[in-house]
Amino acid sequence: MIFTVENGCFDYDKKRQDNFLLQNINFSFSKGELIAVLGPNGAGKTTLLRCMMGLLPWRSGATLLDGENIRHIPYNLLWRRIAYVPQAKNPLGMFKVEELVLLGRSSHFSLLRQPSAQDREIAMDCLRRLHIQHLAGRNCRQISGGELQMALIARALAAQPEVLILDEPESNLDFKNQLVVLDAMSELVEQGIACVFNTHYPAHAMQRADKALLLDRQGHYRFGPTTEIINEDNIKNAFGVEAVIGEIETKHRIYRDILPVSVLKLDLESESLADANGANQKGEDHMTQENAEERSRETRVAIVGAIVEDRNAAEKINELLHEYAKYIIGRMGMPYEKKDVSIICVVIDAPEEITAALSGKLGRIHGVNIKTTYSRI
Amino acid sequence: MERQNKTFSYKKCAIVCSLIVAPIALAFIALAVGRFPLSFSTVFQVLFEPISDVTNIDAQTQTVLWNIRLPRILLAMLVGAGLAVSGLAFQNLFANPLATPDTLGVASGASFGAVLALLFGLNLIWVQLMALIGGVLAVGLTYSVSANRNRGSITTVVLAGLIIGSLFTALVSLVKYVADAESQLPSIVYWLMGSLSSANYGMLLLGAPLIVIGLVVLLLLRWRLNLLPLPEDEARSAGVNISRLRLATVVSATMITASCISMCGQVGWVGLLVPHMCRMMFGGNNQKLVPACLSVGAMLMLIVDTLARTVSAAEIPVSILTAIIGAPVFIFLLRRTGGWSL
Repeated sequence: MIFTVENGCFDYDKKRQDNFLLQNINFSFSKGELIAVLGPNGAGKTTLLRCMMGLLPWRSGATLLDGENIRHIPYNLLWRRIAYVPQAKNPLGMFKVEELVLLGRSSHFSLLRQPSAQDREIAMDCLRRLHIQHLAGRNCRQISGGELQMALIARALAAQPEVLILDEPESNLDFKNQLVVLDAMSELVEQGIACVFNTHYPAHAMQRADKALLLDRQGHYRFGPTTEIINEDNIKNAFGVEAVIGEIETKHRIYRDILPVSVLKLDLESESLADANGANQKGEDHMTQENAEERSRETRVAIVGAIVEDRNAAEKINELLHEYAKYIIGRMGMPYEKKDVSIICVVIDAPEEITAALSGKLGRIHGVNIKTTYSRI
Repeated sequence: MERQNKTFSYKKCAIVCSLIVAPIALAFIALAVGRFPLSFSTVFQVLFEPISDVTNIDAQTQTVLWNIRLPRILLAMLVGAGLAVSGLAFQNLFANPLATPDTLGVASGASFGAVLALLFGLNLIWVQLMALIGGVLAVGLTYSVSANRNRGSITTVVLAGLIIGSLFTALVSLVKYVADAESQLPSIVYWLMGSLSSANYGMLLLGAPLIVIGLVVLLLLRWRLNLLPLPEDEARSAGVNISRLRLATVVSATMITASCISMCGQVGWVGLLVPHMCRMMFGGNNQKLVPACLSVGAMLMLIVDTLARTVSAAEIPVSILTAIIGAPVFIFLLRRTGGWSL
């Protein structure tokens, strides 16, 4: 499965001829990838999701699913492959959770038919898959926001889709439920479903997503591996915020996090300037991109050390290391039978973002404890 | 776990059976009671007379049962079931617990159509057709007045229905004003109050098919009705042709309402009361609610009509009784389970 957006343009103002809200958006992803869509309020994150699902028509450009324009795929076939998870708001209807989830089967049988026992079984399976089978008999109005969000994910899963598109799934949730939802997404991605979610939290994107799409208010966007997209410069440009990216160390892992420090003072001025003079803004963009490239050529020696508790992780680790082989200058692997763990040590000479991406990906594998030490050279 | 499932399915089975059996049992009772009381055994004898050898039943009893009570009972059950299910359909369609044929102005629209047909002295087919046109017109107007980008809010829809409803009520008054005070006006006024007394087989033959077709369509669509109240994006992402579903629902529900109104006038409350009663008893899943409303609606209307023709010497119009019975029952249910919601 390859999902592609080609030259997508959109604006709510139908008369507008240039400077669209979304301008020439191009990106693609395939199965098993987690894509985060980021951007300030009003940048068009939700609009982008709606356009790419065909719920809003692109002004020009198209969404392709395995090369076929989704406009030409019959709606019931399309919605078996793509599923949409709305934000958990107050639900209409006194449904039980299992009835809500069953609604996700709609595209699988004809209009006049009733859901079969098999459809019910699939709906229950989806609840089990997300570990919320205990909610099945509960009323949708009596469960918490986090539980409702999980139920909505289960409803989308019931369509047995290849792509899951989630609209701010972890907004309005507390810490625990944010983790529950994010873990569920990571788990589904591991099972081979592609997930696209938009979020207000760059940190969630950094910790989870393989790729990120960063929108700004001027209709520009960046798309690429998360560690390359989410850096202090890009955050500053997109959000108008001075932010620092740092690391939080626990006994088992180092987590990357981002902290907004101050609002850029020139914010208002630069925005109005940008509106008045788009060309200038683009020039600036060019500059920062050059800077980034220059910086990325600068490599640093680092040691990535991991203790692996799960035997099944070995294959995935090898795959990843193979992917980054050209930067790796040395590696050591050592099983420790007595405690049933393996110790892996990789020495790498690569730009910092690359090293961060590798250790981030390794850290997301189940049963891997990992830390990275950078040299000053 | 196994045991739990079993008891659950026994309970389910019992509910299904009682929803089928209870209306039939009530119909038997209704056949027996009235100004001309009959014993149950007589009712049985008369009903099974065509297929048995008993021939000692007098003609008067036969006429009362076959030509007066039975068509009236059938009509009452049909109208009750129809109004309840169409009320449910409208509530889902507008994602609005207060949407009913009455509040949406459909009933007024259909009344206007029917009254207009009565004014011109047209026959029942035309009354039905005009009622249908009036109903569709009213629901279309209400929808377009209340619709905005995110669909109307609960209050907007009700307000729009109120406006459209009063517009058509005014038109009905206009027809009454124009109508001949000697011959046309009394029949129009009496018809508007709602009565099932004029029930006969000819009328049933004309009106029943439309109601039955509407009911069958809604029964087949019953699970899909659950998709209607969802927000636009969610409904479309269910992978169902949502506009076709909406059209099928609105046409069926309006057809039922118009046909009911053209046969027995504007009977209020049933479309609001029954869906909410059923929702409080069976939950919000339309797959269960449609058959439940069908059965409970038929029973309620049957009870009301039986009371209408038995409590006093002069018959009481059913619309008065539905309101008198409906309001307190509804308040009781509302207090006990708390809250209107879909």
